[in-house]
Parts: sequence; C-alpha cells; structure tokens
Amino acid sequence: MKTKVRQLLEEGRVDAFLAYKTIHGVPFPTLFTKENVDELEEWAPFKARYPVTKILLAQARQNPGKTFGVLVRGCEERSLYELFKWNQLSPDKVVVLGQACTEDLALYCECKKPFPDQLDYGEAPAPVPRSRRLEELEAMPETDRLQWWLSHFNRCIRCHGCRDVCPVCFCTECSLEHKELIPARKLPPDSSFHLVRAVHMAGRCIDCGLCEETCPAGIPLRALYKRVNDLVENIFDYQTGVPDGKSPFSMLGDESFLPAGPR
Amino acid sequence: MQNPFEPKILAFLCNWCSYAGADLAGVSRLQYPPNIRVVRVMCSGTVSPHHVIHAFQRGADGVLVAGCHIGDCHYLKGNYMTLKRMKFVQELIRFAGYNPERFRLEWISSAEGVKFAEVVRDFTEKVRSLGPAPSFEASPRLAMGL
Amino acid sequence: MDKCIACGTCAEKCPRKVTDEYNAGLGKRKAAYVKFPQAVPLKYVIDKDHCIYFEKGKCRACEKFCPTQAVNFDDQDREFTLEVGSVILAPGFEPFDPGVYDTYSYSHPNVITSMEFERILSSSGPFEGHLVRPSDHQEPKKIAWLQCVGSRDIHHCDNGYCSGVCCMYAIKEAAIAKEHAGADLNTAIFFMDMRTPGKDFDKYYERAKAEKGVRFIRSRVHSIEPLPGTDDLAIQYVTEDGRITEEVFNLVVLSVGLQISKDTLELAEKLGVEIGDGRFAATSPFQPVQTSRTGIYVCGVFQSPKDIPLSVMEASAAAAESATLLAPARNSLTRKPPELSEKDVAAQEPRVGVFVCHCGVNIAGVVDVEAVADYAETLPGVAYVERNLFTCAQDTQDKMKQIIEEHNLNRIVVAACSPRTHEALFQETLKQAGLNKYLFEMANIRNQGSWVHMNEPEAATEKAKDLVRMAVAKVALQQPLGEMQLGVTKSALVVGGGIAGMTAALTLADQGYPVTLVERKDVLGGHGRKLYSTWDGQPVAPFLDELIKRVEAHPEITVLTKARITDVQGFVGNFHTVLDVDGQRREVDHGVAVIAVGAHSLKPDEYGYGKSDRIFLNLDLDQAIGERDERIVTARSAVFIQCVGSREPDRPYCSRVCCSHSIENALRLKKLNPDMDVYVLYRDIRTFGLRENLYKEARARGVLFIRFDLENKPVVQVASDGTLKVTVKDHVLQRPVVLTPDILTLAGAIVMRESEADELAKMFKVPVNAEGFFLEAHAKLRPVDFATDGVFVAGLAHYPKPTEECIAQAKAAASRAATVLAKDSITAGGVVAVVNKDLCCGCQGCVQCCPFGAIDYLEREGKCEVNQALCKGCGTCAATCPSEAITLLGFSHLQLYAQIDEALSA
Repeated sequence: MKTKVRQLLEEGRVDAFLAYKTIHGVPFPTLFTKENVDELEEWAPFKARYPVTKILLAQARQNPGKTFGVLVRGCEERSLYELFKWNQLSPDKVVVLGQACTEDLALYCECKKPFPDQLDYGEAPAPVPRSRRLEELEAMPETDRLQWWLSHFNRCIRCHGCRDVCPVCFCTECSLEHKELIPARKLPPDSSFHLVRAVHMAGRCIDCGLCEETCPAGIPLRALYKRVNDLVENIFDYQTGVPDGKSPFSMLGDESFLPAGPR
Repeated sequence: MQNPFEPKILAFLCNWCSYAGADLAGVSRLQYPPNIRVVRVMCSGTVSPHHVIHAFQRGADGVLVAGCHIGDCHYLKGNYMTLKRMKFVQELIRFAGYNPERFRLEWISSAEGVKFAEVVRDFTEKVRSLGPAPSFEASPRLAMGL
Repeated sequence: MDKCIACGTCAEKCPRKVTDEYNAGLGKRKAAYVKFPQAVPLKYVIDKDHCIYFEKGKCRACEKFCPTQAVNFDDQDREFTLEVGSVILAPGFEPFDPGVYDTYSYSHPNVITSMEFERILSSSGPFEGHLVRPSDHQEPKKIAWLQCVGSRDIHHCDNGYCSGVCCMYAIKEAAIAKEHAGADLNTAIFFMDMRTPGKDFDKYYERAKAEKGVRFIRSRVHSIEPLPGTDDLAIQYVTEDGRITEEVFNLVVLSVGLQISKDTLELAEKLGVEIGDGRFAATSPFQPVQTSRTGIYVCGVFQSPKDIPLSVMEASAAAAESATLLAPARNSLTRKPPELSEKDVAAQEPRVGVFVCHCGVNIAGVVDVEAVADYAETLPGVAYVERNLFTCAQDTQDKMKQIIEEHNLNRIVVAACSPRTHEALFQETLKQAGLNKYLFEMANIRNQGSWVHMNEPEAATEKAKDLVRMAVAKVALQQPLGEMQLGVTKSALVVGGGIAGMTAALTLADQGYPVTLVERKDVLGGHGRKLYSTWDGQPVAPFLDELIKRVEAHPEITVLTKARITDVQGFVGNFHTVLDVDGQRREVDHGVAVIAVGAHSLKPDEYGYGKSDRIFLNLDLDQAIGERDERIVTARSAVFIQCVGSREPDRPYCSRVCCSHSIENALRLKKLNPDMDVYVLYRDIRTFGLRENLYKEARARGVLFIRFDLENKPVVQVASDGTLKVTVKDHVLQRPVVLTPDILTLAGAIVMRESEADELAKMFKVPVNAEGFFLEAHAKLRPVDFATDGVFVAGLAHYPKPTEECIAQAKAAASRAATVLAKDSITAGGVVAVVNKDLCCGCQGCVQCCPFGAIDYLEREGKCEVNQALCKGCGTCAATCPSEAITLLGFSHLQLYAQIDEALSA
C-alpha cells in the first residue's frame, strides 16, 4: 500500500492521502502528504473504525481545490457514494483505495457488504444478510416496543455524538438544535429527538454503526436506523450506499406509486 | 367523576383542497366532533415529518394530514412528497411502538365536504377508542425498568 | 351623505312605520331607514312618500336627534349629464305578482311567494332566520312549493317562457328550510318538469330527493283552499297514475317567475332599445349581449331569464363588447391610484388587533362571541380586541383603518369565516391602513366552527378560543413580506378553433391584443360545422363561415391548424408554450391562455345505436334533414329518445341542449311532413328560458310527448330486416306502448375526452371535475376563471351549452383575459420560499423536489437559491430540508411549530 500511495502522491493524482498510523498501538487516521509518506505503514487488517469520510469532508471543505485519496472500508465507501449523491463531495476530487473488513468484524456489524466495490487490500468476508438485532426487535410484540425504546432513550444525555460521528450527517446547522422542534435544556431530551434523527437518516444512513459505538449511553441506535432504511427499501425500492439513484425524499419522481384520485 | 376522554386531534389541511373541503362541510352544515384543531398550510407538501413528530410529542392523540388527490395537487406534485413522507412516518412510529392508526393521511378535494366530515368523525372516534396517546416523554423511572 | 355615520338614531326616533319592501312586505321599517344592513354606501335615507314632514309639515325628529346634522330636508333631485361611449343595461327583473292567480289564495297570509320565503329564511329578515309562518308565527311542519307561477303560462299572464331559475331555487329553499327546522320538516315540490340543467344542478336535485327527503310531486295544482277553522291550506292534486289526493300544508310557497318591469320597458323605449319575445330585450343568438342599438349592451335577466353563473358570464361579455368598442380610447380617462406607503414595523414588538365577528347569527348563534373576545384580550401580544356584527362590511373596514392608526396596531387577526372567503378584502384594508398585507391572519370560527358544531356551543366556543390563540401566535411571528413586479406579455393563446375559441380570439384581437389560435384539426369550426341552426331557427353555417373568414383575415390573429400543445412553462403574464404544428416545433410566448377545446358526442352503447342506419344522433339528424336524406323524406314516423347517457348514475349530469335540439328537429320533421307521427320520449322537458316556445309549438303541431323514468327506460329492438320497434310505458295510460318509427334519434350526452382534457389540464395546471369538464374557480362568481391565474375557459369544455351561451362565455373569457393583458406589470412574491444561505449545505434535496423547478443550485457558492418569480409557495422544499434551511415565508417552521404548540396547549 505504501508504494501505491507514494505513487499517487508523486504523480500528483492526489494532494494528500487519508490513511492510518499506529500511535500507542492503535491505528489513528492520519493525513499523508509527500512530506510524510514515509511514515505510512504496510497494510494489515485492523478493527478500529473511524468516521474517515467525515474527516475527509472537513479537509475537502477547507481545501476546495485539492484532490484527496482515502482508504475505505465497505461502509466508508457507501458513505462516499452518499456524499457524492448529496453533492457534498465531488467524485473527481476523491481517489479511493479499498480494504476489506475481517470476518468477525463483519459478524459484529451484521454488515450486508463488509467490503468496498473498489477492493485493493484484504479478502472479502461473507456478507451477513440478516440482522439478529432487528429480528429480536421485530419479534417483540408491538405493545411492548414503546416502553422498550423509551427505556433506552431515557439514558440519552444529548451529547450529539451520534450526529457528530455520522459520516452522512453534513448539514451546516442541525435542526436537532432548533429549540422550537426539540425543546432545549431538557435531559433526557424528548423522544422526538431520536425520531427526528431517524427521519433524517432515512435515505442516508449506510449502516456503519459508529453512532451506536460512540453513544456513551449505549442506546441501540443501529437497530433504529437499520429499520429505517429497511423501510425505505421496502416502500420505495431504494437502497442507500449505491452510486446511482436519488433519495425518494428529495426526488419528486414522475409517478406516484398510488393510483390517481377518484374520477 | 372523571370527564370522559376527549382526544386531541391535530389536522394539517392544504389551502386549496382539504381546507376548502372543510369549509364546504361548513357551508353544507355537516356536523362533526369538535376535537379537531386545524393548521392551514398551502400544500400538504408543506407538512414535514418534523411537524408530525412534534405534534405527537406535544400531546396530540391523533394527527391528520389531508391534501389534494394524487394528480390534482394545486402545486402539481406536492402531494407526491407528502405521500412518501407520511407513509414513512407512519411506519416509523409503528416501529417505535406507537399505534400507527393515530396518524392518518387522506386525500380530500375541495368538493368533498361530505368526505371531510366523515373522515373527521371516523378518525375522532377511532382515536377516542385508542385512548390517550402514550407520552413521548422519557421519564427517569423507566430507565430503572419500573 | 358625507356626514351620515349610519348610527341608526333617525330610524329609532322616526314615528312613521312603513311596510318593508326589502323584506317582501313581511315586516315594517321606518320612514327614515337604511335599505338593508349591508347597503353600499351604508347611509340612511328618508322615504319622501311616507315622511310625516313631507306630508304634513310636522315632526323633523330625525333632524333633531342626528348627532352629525346629516339631515337635509331641502335636498333636491339633481340631474347629471354623462358623456359615454357605451351603455350596459343590467336592469334585472321583478318577481311575478301572483295576485292574478285567483285560485291560489295569495291574499291568505300563509300563501307566500318564494321571495318572501327567502326573507323569512334570512337571518337579517323579519323573523331573524327563524322559520315561522306569517299568520301566527308558528313553525310550519309541512310546506309546499308550487312551480311555474307566472311562467309557462299564457292564461293568467303573458309569460309563456320558462323563468329558468325556479326549479333550482325551490329545491334550495326546501333543503335550507329542512336545515332550519329539522329533517322532519315535510317539504313537497309540485312541478311539471324539473328543470335543473346547469352544471352540478342535477346532482343537487338527486341529493335533495335521496338524502334530504324532499318530496317531488309531478302535478300541476289548480287551487289552494284555506282550511276553515285553521291557518292551514289544502291542496288537491292528481298523481301521475290518475288518483286524486288531498294534502294539508301549513305554508305554501309560490315559485314565482321573473318578468321585466314596466319601468324597465319605459327605460328601453327611451333608449331606443327594441324589445323582443317575452318582453325581454331583442338580441340575436350570435350576438347575445348586443341590443338593437349599437353601443348599448344588455346582460342578465333583461336579456332573457337566467341564473347567476350565466348572468355573470353575460356581464363579462357585455364588458368585453364595450371594451372592444372603446379600445381606441383605452386609458384616456384613467388616473393612477395613490401610492400607498407602508409603515416599517420590523423593529416593533407585535401589537395584535383582534376582531371577532358575529356574522349575524351565523357565528353568534353557536359561539359565545363575547367570551372569545374577552379571552383574546388575555393573549400575549394582543393590544386591542373588538366584536363586530359583520367584520366584512365596508364600514367595518373603514373603522379598522382608524383603529389601526389610533392604537398603533401592527398585526391583525380576524376571527370569522374562512380566509378563502375574505382574506383578500382584509388584506386590502391593511394595505390602505399602511400595513403590509401579510401581517394578517384569520381564525376560521364559522365554516370550521359554528357551522359544524351547531349542537355543541361550549365546545365550539372553546375551539374558537384555541383557534384565536393559534392565529395570534402565528401572526405575532409574521414579518412583512415583499412583492416584486413582473412584466406582462401582451398577447394571448386560445386553445381550440371552434365557435367559442374563435369568438374569444376575435374579442381579444379586436381590442388590439395579438392572438395565437391553436386548432387540433386541419380546419376551424369545431362542432359548429355539424350544427344546423340555433334554437330559434337561425342557420349556423353562414355565421360560422363569416366567423372563420374574420378570424383568418384578422391581422392580429395567427391561426395554427393541425397543432398540438406539447409543453407549457411559466405563469400568468409570462407563459411559454411549445407546440407541434404538423410535425414542426413552434414556441409561443403569451400572457394569458383561453381553453376552448370543446367536447364530444357520446356514442351510446344502448338503444341499438350502431345497429341500424335509421338510428341517429341529433347532429347526424341535422345533417340528414338538411340534405333531404332519403330516410328522412320517406319517413312516416319518428321517435326521439331523450337523456341517452345523461342523468344516469355513472354520468349524473344533464347535457342541457338536447331537449331543445330534439324538439327543434321534431318541428323540422313536422314541417317537412305534417302527417309524420313524431314522438318525443323524455324524463323532463328542459326547454328553459324562451325555448319554452319550441315546446309549445311542438305540442300545437301534434308532436306527442311520452314520459319515462330511469327505472323504466324505453326498449329498442332492431329486427333483422332493419325495422325498429320502440316499447315505452306511456305515463298517462300506464301501459306499454309499441312504436314503430322509421327513424329513431337518440339525444346522446355531451362528454369530454378524458385523455385530451387531462393532458391539457396538467400542462396549464388547472383542475378538471369528476365528469371531465374543466373546473372553474367559483361556480357562480367566477365562471370563466381558474384558480390558476392567467388561464380561462369557455364553451363546451366548461359544460354542455348552446351556441349563444358559448359565444357569451367566450366573450366573458376574453374579457377576463384582457384584464391581465391591460396591465403593464403583475405582482409576484409574497408567500414564497427563501433559502437561508448560511444554513444551506448545498445538498440540492430541495432543487429536485420542487414541482415548478423554481430552485436553482448556484455552483459558485455551493448553495441553493429560490427563483421567487416561479415559486408558487407550496412549501414542499421547506419540508424536505432536514436542517430547515429553507423557509416558506408566511408559513415558516417557527410559525407552524407555534401553531402546533398552541393548538395542543389547552
């Protein structure tokens, strides 16, 4: 990998490359330029996950003319596709090198596609088609669900970690902070906080799971957003994380999927 | 003696069709229960999932969104968006454990005063039978599993 | 008049009582009085003929008590001389006086005319809307209506015509009477033919029958006998199957017809305007609003008896004729209205004024208006509260302006009817008071309050309070909204080259506006080409030829045949249409559009149509008679079947023209061969207005009329040798009768071709009703407009109608279109969306969801922007943006949340 990255930098195809550097035994995202490319290590599979594309987005915004390279997992590539579709990043300013996740990571994430389309490093593990988390929830009788969710939402301390770490949350101002929508200075915040976030995640969430990992209160956010996107897929036949198509919530479309009114 | 439960119904009616239909129900002197409070919007497409969720949060027992029939929207396709969003919102609240029958999307044209009155009567009774909406308020007691 | 403040003291103090003619003689007024509560100008007058001072030289109480010294007994009649280019006559009618019907006991207090009944029902009438009968003020339990009193009658009076409105108004009165008195009220309408041929009228009739339980009895009543010892009246009548029945009623209403008054006839004579049949102004069907004197036009009932929608159309048509005549002098006498300045309230705290309306008893009868007003005073931001009897009255508007000034109000809430009714009126008042017109909100406590919660006054009052609270919260957050001026392309596009389309095109072109006339086929003329004559026998062909010649020769009209519209962009004043003209692409810029695409004849799937060449539709029969077709000339017997495909459950409307058309053709057949047996099989004969003469003449010439109903339709059999057999149950014999006509004509329905109409409707963004006809903005008051500005409709595309109505409506549409073209600019903006660029992240979610493509993505800034000229204010974009970076002004997120919060806070 070191050779490839060095080549990209020297040929000028990228101005900087976002990859990882081991610090205190843990991989950390680091931006490599021609100056420090020697510090780049050889690739080996690792489990640490970061909102890499979010960091990339911040860099791209600060340096609008520059092209960046980035090492992505399956989910991170999906987030890139979304960022392209939502007009936050330009595909011709991003160069991708892909890495596969390990099998136990895939199982933990219950990931449907634990490897990117652009796969350069690692062996693609088997995708996990069914989510046990969701199945458990679906099995719960509908009458118990509200209490179950409320018991989790209750622990929310409104740290906004879920939003801050989410790679497809890119709004300049977040409406979750609009006090007319979600009353301020209330802990735990009203459950509408979570439902509104879920609505925003519809048509965007690419199931990277960082939100749940970040949440200090351990709220099962991933299940909520996974469900949201299942709904979007079922109702609108639209999948997030693919290069084509537009979210049904922004596209008007030429047809409605209901027949016209009474005549 | 406790007063019988009177559901709070919040309705979003689009100016050109459903609001006019409601007016026509008035002109025709059709009667319906007084539980409904109407917020007039220009198009049913003005209604965002934010508004619906906020309404439930604030204590609405039922939320009704009414717009023009598909193909008849005064703004051509505003109601296509409404349909997509509201269908999704209904599924979402179902997933969150809320009875999805507390939310209703109807297409009511400006000539359908009769339909408006029927929908309001029907919906009010339905929500009445479902009882007060469970509170969206998270309370610390729940966290302890009580 | 300038000093009168309409306080009413003069009327209060006046000692002389006079019969109140406004309340149809059912009540009293004073000699000093106001004509009616909503008179404009709202000023009191002294009735010279009944004033004690003018009679005896004494009293003058009004002058003594008038607080503004507005009484002037020395006032003289004044004469004015006006120099005008044209005159429009709209003198109206007088209701027929049924005193000449000596057997109807009109002198009995409980036998009243329909006008008197209207006043009884009215909340501002003699009984304040309480339905009671004149003799003893008791609530009637049984009311009868007798139709055709003073119409279709050449014995008691000389009004052989049909007044055209009485059937509908009787049904309306019966339905509203039931509303006032309760569903148990027994209402019976005695009629000969039920004439409800207008748009949606038949549906109203069927609803009254089926849902409201109004009884319809087909029988002409001879006498009304007072029942001795009571105040009731007995009516004896013969039922359809020949039985004599008697019923006792508490009140009988005579549905009196419309007739032209002596005064009007004198006026006509002074003006040199010829009078025609029925004492109506003499006009030609091809020039329905032109009198015998050039430059003098007529509209309304003086032209011929008609209802409101047609009156409004004719009024616009008369205006169009006038405008065409006076076009060269346009703007030579106009003055610019004063520039209205707007106060800058942006920095002020909201000071809300709340006006709570009683609306007579419409609101106050259910809602505790005083409690609502008191409550309004407690709301944050409210600086002034007032109650009004009718907030929409002109004097209240003047008062509002004063109050805004005096109390320094910067927001107004009116708690009354629907904003769809009077919002524009109040906004105008705000403008004149120097306030931005958007600083206004209405609480709908009538249409969505008192009218729908009539039995729950407390709940209705609580709801009214909630609605006021919501309105105050919303308007307090409202900021002034700006508007911009857009240019107007001063030309028109007329879609459809039939009689209506060509008439509209000529009317606009004659006023100097260039017109592009688009016709689907390769020739102009539409269905006019197939029509033989107008109802009164005037041949259509020469008129049509002349019309086509004028259109084709007119320097301002561009005719495009074999043309289809493929795309329409833009909005009023600024349309851009793309056409396919015989394979070539063509683009037209225009300011307005008139839709006159016509309709089609139904090809019936019953009565053997298509199975024999002896079965015709009326238009085919027109042609066959004109050509002296073999089948017609040798026919010895002809049958017409009416209502084929019309007035059926799956097509519940009347095609309006068929009764007249069939009878016209029946007469032509009789003229051709007086010995021919001609039968007309009908459900109701709807020869409205002066067409009644056709019916009379047909009967005189021996045409036989057999009535059938929907449950027992005639049966047509086509034998293998082509002979026809028609079996129908005769309404007099009550037995089936077999007819063997040589020709059978089916009066088929007029229908819209959905595919054509729908596509055009979508392109121009105008609606179509359940039957496929274009849906006008308001059935009565805006019969040629659409809710979409700049687009108008005329002819069969609106509803089936005869030639002269098509012409009148086409002129009306042109007249309305010209009001746009006459302007130099149009105002846009106001309720539109705006992007807060600081919050926008450039995701373009909004761009893709706008139905009008009004949002652009600005590459350089990486942000989105709304084109306020194209924005229609639907708010779909505002609901799409997850960061709420885009706002619909007037319905902002803050305002919606405020309303939701207030609605649920009780």
